[in-house]
Amino acid sequence: MTITTNLAEKNGGKAFSRRPATTNVETALTLATGAAVGIYGAVRRDWFGAALAAGGGYLVYCGVTDLRRPYQGRVRSAFTINKTPQEVYDFVRNSENWGQLLREPQFEHDGSGQITLRFGKEHAAEFKSHVEITDEKPGEFIAWASEEQMLEHRGVVRFKKAPGDRGTEISVALEYKAPTGPISHALASLAGLDPEQLIREGLRQIKQLMETGEIPTTAGQPVGARGLRGTAKRVLYHERPAAEMQPERMAGD
Amino acid sequence: MKALCWQGKTKVDVERVNDPTILNPRDGIVRVTRTAICGSDLHLYDGYIPSLEPGDVLGHEFMGEVVDTGSEVNRIKKGDRVVIPFTIACGQCYFCKHGLWSACDNTNPNAWMMEKLYGYSGSGLFGYSHMMGGYAGGQAQFARVPFIDVGALKVPDGLDDEKVLFLSDIFPTGYMAAENCEIKPGDVVAIWGCGPVGQFAIRSAFLLGAERVIAIDRVHERLKMARAAGAEIVNYEEVDDLVEELKWITAGRGPDSCMDAVGLEAHGHGVGAAYDYAKQRMKLSFDRPTVLRQVIQACRKGGVVSIPGVYGGFLDKIPFGAAFGKGLTFKMGQTHMHNYMDRLLKHVQQGDIDPSFVITHRLSLDEAPEAYRTFRDKQDECIKVVLDPWQEPVAA
Repeated sequence: MTITTNLAEKNGGKAFSRRPATTNVETALTLATGAAVGIYGAVRRDWFGAALAAGGGYLVYCGVTDLRRPYQGRVRSAFTINKTPQEVYDFVRNSENWGQLLREPQFEHDGSGQITLRFGKEHAAEFKSHVEITDEKPGEFIAWASEEQMLEHRGVVRFKKAPGDRGTEISVALEYKAPTGPISHALASLAGLDPEQLIREGLRQIKQLMETGEIPTTAGQPVGARGLRGTAKRVLYHERPAAEMQPERMAGD
Repeated sequence: MKALCWQGKTKVDVERVNDPTILNPRDGIVRVTRTAICGSDLHLYDGYIPSLEPGDVLGHEFMGEVVDTGSEVNRIKKGDRVVIPFTIACGQCYFCKHGLWSACDNTNPNAWMMEKLYGYSGSGLFGYSHMMGGYAGGQAQFARVPFIDVGALKVPDGLDDEKVLFLSDIFPTGYMAAENCEIKPGDVVAIWGCGPVGQFAIRSAFLLGAERVIAIDRVHERLKMARAAGAEIVNYEEVDDLVEELKWITAGRGPDSCMDAVGLEAHGHGVGAAYDYAKQRMKLSFDRPTVLRQVIQACRKGGVVSIPGVYGGFLDKIPFGAAFGKGLTFKMGQTHMHNYMDRLLKHVQQGDIDPSFVITHRLSLDEAPEAYRTFRDKQDECIKVVLDPWQEPVAA
């Protein structure tokens, strides 16, 4: 069985696998910088120049491989949910449910394929992505692809009956292309924007919502003086002090 | 409100913090009337548990009166007097439905942290570091309790707080540890560690039909309390070789089951113990498994090793060959509280056991920082400290 996740024919562009991960401008810059630094280093004819030449050579190598490397990353995550495959499918297919997930960053899906990720203080920063469902079978799988943009992604979410009476195995496999290097990728992870993190925690939250009706949280609970280190860690643990809690976020209203 | 907050290694302070509020529809807020300091709190105090941050509220043994409930709470009502289990369970996942409440899938907001260390995450715990959920604990005047319908044990009038407080942790822990020993009639059970959990394990072992219980410790008043329950006591500091001593006591068989109610901060002496201390100082290992080694060595062939003692990370130099060669069974883990609380409340109501025997110190919350030190150093014949968060400290 082949599941289609290819928008290429429709959009007239190159297929996902053939498009390079970095933009043309970035590749050109990398090649140019590498060549310049390399030539300068070689011309200097000293040990420092030799080091520069080696660095420049590495940048040229990066630029060349950028032209050839199609994918940036793959994510695979699966969870078991104590509900039937049809129930889990219906929950995921209904875009209104996504508003309850991933409070930090906030995940929103309007009915027509526009996904918005909001993060930062008061959710000021936004990231938009337009996706299309390329293939689906109710109760079994949904395949999607995003349009060509800075962060592209395509993948499949599957719903399978789990062994015994354990419910449903929900699994997501996706590929994404992002023009980021390892350092910015690591920084994005700290802000909770690593694709693997987002997908895994999103699936976990779907499981928690479907099985218990709520997502466990400690945001806004009693906390003593944090100090410098503690305040830095507060970002890592996605905590917000009680004073920042908006009234409408508290359930029971 | 006032709450006891961790501020660093061996540093806890009573601070003024914001009151808890309902954050999710199945939450309840409890006005804490009594709370206790646990032996495992000492691991937090001494800085052995990672992911603890200054400002975290400690405490996981608490009870009180319900003062607020969320919109989806049905069984528990405002005004109910409740004991709260230290593990938080959702009641809906595979593990909760199969009686493995402390393995709940859905109550740890920081599950990814525990998954990195352990592969999979267990349930959230109160006041036990961010890896275990980061929930504010119960050594405070109020506490927020998630899934209060699933966890809270309603206490009937006529039973003192002190008689039921330990249903929040140490009594079910000692009982499950004794149950894990798979005690059959005629069995001899050896228990390392006569702290509060060990004391309840001794009494539970007799409740479950053990013929003899051997209690091992070095602190005089703890051995005395163990003997009062009917155990035979061994002071390991007065004995040359503990394993040989147990062989002598059991006429060459070895105890049928051995329990490690000590955990990662085991004291010991001799070369092996010095090696463990040194490695811990150099951060080469997390835990000191002195007792676990002895337990494995001493247990009879085909016997059962039960481990309620808390371990956090990695162990070194465990005689696993002896464990394999003797065909031992290991049973361990965080207590599945929800299996035991009702059952043990009945034992208390019937008068089979009065859990308040274990209390040696009754203090106000403001005196808690001193109490941590007293408890850790076993000074002043301290065995268990119970705190009243609403009591004003006696003026010095």
